[in-house]
Amino acid sequence: MAAIPPQARSKTLRACLLCSIIQLPNEFKRSGCPNCEEILQMKGSPDRIQGCTTTQFDGVIAVIDPDASWVARWQRTSKYVRGMYAVRVTGRIPEDVEMELERRNIKYRPRDQSDQD
Amino acid sequence: MYHNDDDEALGADVDDQDEDDQGDDNMTGDSPPKKSKPSRRDTVVDEEEDEGEDDEDEEDEEDEEDEDEAPGRKGKKRAKHRHKRMGASRFLDIEAEVSDEDDEDEEDEEYGVDTFITTADDVDDDLTRRNHALLDSSRHFEEEDARSPEEIAKAVARRHRDRAAPYTGDMNEIPQRLLMPSVHDASLWQVRVKPGRERDIVFSLMRKAIDVEYSARPLNILSAFQRDSLPGMIYVEARSAKQVQEACTGLVGVYPSRGIQLVPIEEMASLLQIKRQETTLTPGTWVRIRRGKYSGDLAQVVDLTENGEDVGLRLIPRIDMNPRDDGSLDPNAKKRKKIALGAGSSRPPQRLFNYEEILKVYGRKNVTKRNQAYVFQNETYKDGFLEKDFKASALIGEDVNPTLDEITQFTRRQDGGDDNVVNLSVIAEASRKAAIAVLQPGDHIEVFEGEQAGVHGVVDEIAGDVVTITAKGLELEGQKMEMPARSVRKRFKPGDHVKVMAGQNADETGLVVSVSDNVVTFVSDMSMQEISVFSKDLREAAEVGSGTNIVGNYELYDLVQLDAQTVGVIYKTERDSFRVLDQNGQVRLVQPHQISMRRDSSKAIATDSEGHELRVNDNVKEIDGEGRKGRVLHTHQAFFAFLHNRDITENSGVFVTRTRSLASLAPKSNIIKVGADLSKMNPALVAPTGGMVGSGNMGRGPRDRHIGATVTVIKGPHKGYVGTIKDTNGPIARVELRTGNKVIMVDKEKLYRRLPDGKLEPLDKGGRGPPGGNGMSSYQTGGPGFGGNASGGRTPYNASRTPNPYAGDSRTPAWNASSRTPNPYADSRTPAWNASSRTPNPYAAADGGRTPAWNVSSRTPNPYATGANAGAAPGTGWGGATPGRNAASSWGGATPGRSSAAASTAGGWGSTAGGWSSPRPPANNAWTAPAEPPTNAWDIPPGGWGSASAPTPAAATPAAVSRDTPYFSAMTPAANGRTPAGVWSHGTARDPVATPGVFGGDHQEDSTDDGWLFDPAFAKYITRFLVEIEGTRPEQYLDGEYEGKTGRILAAQENPQVYEQTARVRFDNDDQRSIPTKYIVRRLPTFIGQEVLVLRGNKKGQPLVVREDPSDDDKFLTLSTKAQPTVVDKWSTKTVILLHDDASGP
Repeated sequence: MAAIPPQARSKTLRACLLCSIIQLPNEFKRSGCPNCEEILQMKGSPDRIQGCTTTQFDGVIAVIDPDASWVARWQRTSKYVRGMYAVRVTGRIPEDVEMELERRNIKYRPRDQSDQD
Repeated sequence: MYHNDDDEALGADVDDQDEDDQGDDNMTGDSPPKKSKPSRRDTVVDEEEDEGEDDEDEEDEEDEEDEDEAPGRKGKKRAKHRHKRMGASRFLDIEAEVSDEDDEDEEDEEYGVDTFITTADDVDDDLTRRNHALLDSSRHFEEEDARSPEEIAKAVARRHRDRAAPYTGDMNEIPQRLLMPSVHDASLWQVRVKPGRERDIVFSLMRKAIDVEYSARPLNILSAFQRDSLPGMIYVEARSAKQVQEACTGLVGVYPSRGIQLVPIEEMASLLQIKRQETTLTPGTWVRIRRGKYSGDLAQVVDLTENGEDVGLRLIPRIDMNPRDDGSLDPNAKKRKKIALGAGSSRPPQRLFNYEEILKVYGRKNVTKRNQAYVFQNETYKDGFLEKDFKASALIGEDVNPTLDEITQFTRRQDGGDDNVVNLSVIAEASRKAAIAVLQPGDHIEVFEGEQAGVHGVVDEIAGDVVTITAKGLELEGQKMEMPARSVRKRFKPGDHVKVMAGQNADETGLVVSVSDNVVTFVSDMSMQEISVFSKDLREAAEVGSGTNIVGNYELYDLVQLDAQTVGVIYKTERDSFRVLDQNGQVRLVQPHQISMRRDSSKAIATDSEGHELRVNDNVKEIDGEGRKGRVLHTHQAFFAFLHNRDITENSGVFVTRTRSLASLAPKSNIIKVGADLSKMNPALVAPTGGMVGSGNMGRGPRDRHIGATVTVIKGPHKGYVGTIKDTNGPIARVELRTGNKVIMVDKEKLYRRLPDGKLEPLDKGGRGPPGGNGMSSYQTGGPGFGGNASGGRTPYNASRTPNPYAGDSRTPAWNASSRTPNPYADSRTPAWNASSRTPNPYAAADGGRTPAWNVSSRTPNPYATGANAGAAPGTGWGGATPGRNAASSWGGATPGRSSAAASTAGGWGSTAGGWSSPRPPANNAWTAPAEPPTNAWDIPPGGWGSASAPTPAAATPAAVSRDTPYFSAMTPAANGRTPAGVWSHGTARDPVATPGVFGGDHQEDSTDDGWLFDPAFAKYITRFLVEIEGTRPEQYLDGEYEGKTGRILAAQENPQVYEQTARVRFDNDDQRSIPTKYIVRRLPTFIGQEVLVLRGNKKGQPLVVREDPSDDDKFLTLSTKAQPTVVDKWSTKTVILLHDDASGP
């Protein structure tokens, strides 16, 4: 369960570039990304948060039941925690993260819908 | 089989419950899934089945084995991710505390054929393992349960920590297309929400879902989302609309009442795929500032932060050079300064930063210099530009469309000085994108970059960003090549005539004088100034500034009302304004809104120095002053004339002068008259000037011929309303409605003339439909002229006359005179008329009383009575005449009634009489009403009459038209007839005029008289009817090819009235053709011995033989039956038709 930002209109809302979850920056700072902290390691690191999250996102999804939701599945967030997700996030994760993913044989899918297959 | 996959199903987020769940499950063993979250669990099962993952079973087993071997949460957590991994590794639990061998075994198993449970042993084995698992886990939980709550809490906390499990990229391997929704998935429902609140509502839904999760009524929705590009709606994922409804209740700004609509399954994915056209900002890109002091200003991107959120811009500063508050000069009073700035009523103009000026205004303390830049009020200024970071969201990146001016402002400084040379590379870049959009096949282009740079050619086709061109030039001539659209630009060369398609100078045309890259400079046709535009905005065009001749509703050379006293002529149009020369010779620059209305002077009449009429488009010359020549554009108040002469350069050749100082250039030598004005009033006097009238008199009449017409609105909100046209202005008419005493403005096109019988016809139609036409016409001028016209053939006169009937009273004789004057009366007629007028014969005949028909009509009181009745209430106007009129028109034969009238002889005559009498009163009225004493008119012997009817001749209308004359004259006499005996006794000269001749003429010439063709009484003879085709020329029927041809009727069949009546005619050259009966006229005998058929009267249907030379008298024929040659009788030529002397005929 991710923290649900209290203010929907807040301009400071940031979306994770990897899993597209939307949180307030200080939430990222306090507990990192609830889904991909292991690889992004944003907790307590504002710089890292700057690099791995963005305010440039479009569309907000309230994922209430990730496992059952087709929307979550389509967004590839059905194995993630409940919370607010962005439909589309502009930008790519930092290169080091991308390298790490590659090392782990994990296919990186940018959240900007640039590749649809 | 039930999978003990609780944890997997519930996901990690329900940790708190997990243990309980687990416990429950262990208690119940293989019992059905726990009820607490049934729907959800089902979904999971569904989902997995949907995906058809073969390894489902294996996985589950694996799970259990994990549990066996490594009791605890970890294994399960991992299991959750396992199947997402690559190849074999997906089956490896690398984190598990198990030996590799086990995994390998499993692997073997999985890849082996034995994977499936095929034997009972397998099943047993499976069950055994399952039991083990269950036992194991129960043991595990028993253990846990034994722990203190604190311990449990700790464990939970630990689990939470552990949740920062390795990122596995879970579903990233699955192609997107496999994620398409299936029918088993929940549906998406579109819900209307308050625009702007979409995001809040999605958040609210989330919070609400969490709040009520464990309440009695949890939300049953799975997700909700919103797209920025779909304002005013959110989408909720749920299994039914009801669940959506429930979820939305109590939320502010959601309008479930406006419908919760199901999103079709095939559209679900697209909702999430909507992609906004993203403009990627790169250094050098032009953007506009969205809001704030620089709102709308153009700016250039200088640099960007990595994530693209902050953009460094260069823009032209707006520094307030007149700070209101002196306090703001004090560097310490920052707060106040800010207020002062914020409160500024209008923002300061764009101006490059000038160190000296700033110093002057703000003082040295406020500006500091750092390196190349100045810092002023915490902003950095470099090269005069403000360099500032903006949030990307505060910028507009699309449709920036920088104008040349704006870009020039930027480039000027960059070039390092004040030279005005346009930095083409910058501009080119800016305009390039747009240029792609404006290319069209056929455009001349040139390639300006890449390998083919310098090649030019013509665009063949455009496909996306690729244009195919046919190259022109030396060695490449004719070759087709494909080019990226951004590498080509439109090509113009000096001398081309171009037109600006877009931008500030749109619609300017001119000649290209120079081209440098994609900036084209041309000399405007209109302003003679040089204008530079991007070639993308240009197109080759032959027209000359035509686009700018119309601004708003006004056009070049329109006469416009500027104020109550002033009118002027537009002699030049500029982009949004006019140059107007007013009647005092002053030139004004006028905006369209300053013009109160357009004046129409086409109907205005003025007189020139010689007293001649001066009309629009006359070529005239000044007799004094400069002696300028010109064409009359407009006259104003009969005093001012606006002339136009291309040779005069001043005011584009338009000048104003007095009408009294003008003389016509056209020779009008044959005009003998004095006091043109008077003559206009006097129909009698108009006559002698017949030669001129054709042109001169036409314009007389009401300002608009439609004024006074009774009309019905056929379109728009007032459809169906009946009213009277009170005034017209251009295409707009002011109509006074009968209902509500209301005057409305209506497009003339929406008005149809309403005939007295309630029928409608187009306003401009005049007497087109035979019945309508005749009816109208008869109303009109007392029938006469008009009827003639109507049948004569829809000449424009017709139309022009149309309204008269309704405004009958207002018609002065002059009008009548003119109305009659026109062309309908051909030369050919006149003599005939004259002849008849002089010939006493008809009268003799009448006197003799030998013609029964004649007698009947003239003497019988009945017709008179009817006539009188009909027309006797002359005061009531023409309306009163109606019945008679109709009868008259039935003579005209156009009305359907006519045939019936003809059918019964007496009736026919009777009706004729009616016709006769009816016109009279009006005629009388008409003649007596005028100021010009009617007696005058009457007194003027035949000539006078001639003038009424004869002026006509001059106009020499085609034969068809001439046909009508008689009709007219037929009416005229009626007037005479009506005039008491005195008139009759007045002398032969006049009486003849009054005329039977005319009467005869009417019949004989009535081309629309088609009744005789269909009268069954003549059926035997119909094939012997000799006819002639007349009246096709004016209407261009078959190009008038058959005009004047003679032939015989082959067959005539009366059609329902809606169709045009036609008859088949065999022409003398054996040509056969169906001809509308309106063009078919009877032929009359020309020599003794010819056989004719009587069409009316007591011998109707009888063939008779001509006994006297018909050329002696063209009104009456001396006829007798074949059997009794001696018993001769006079017959009006109207009542007979020449028969073919065909023996084969009946």
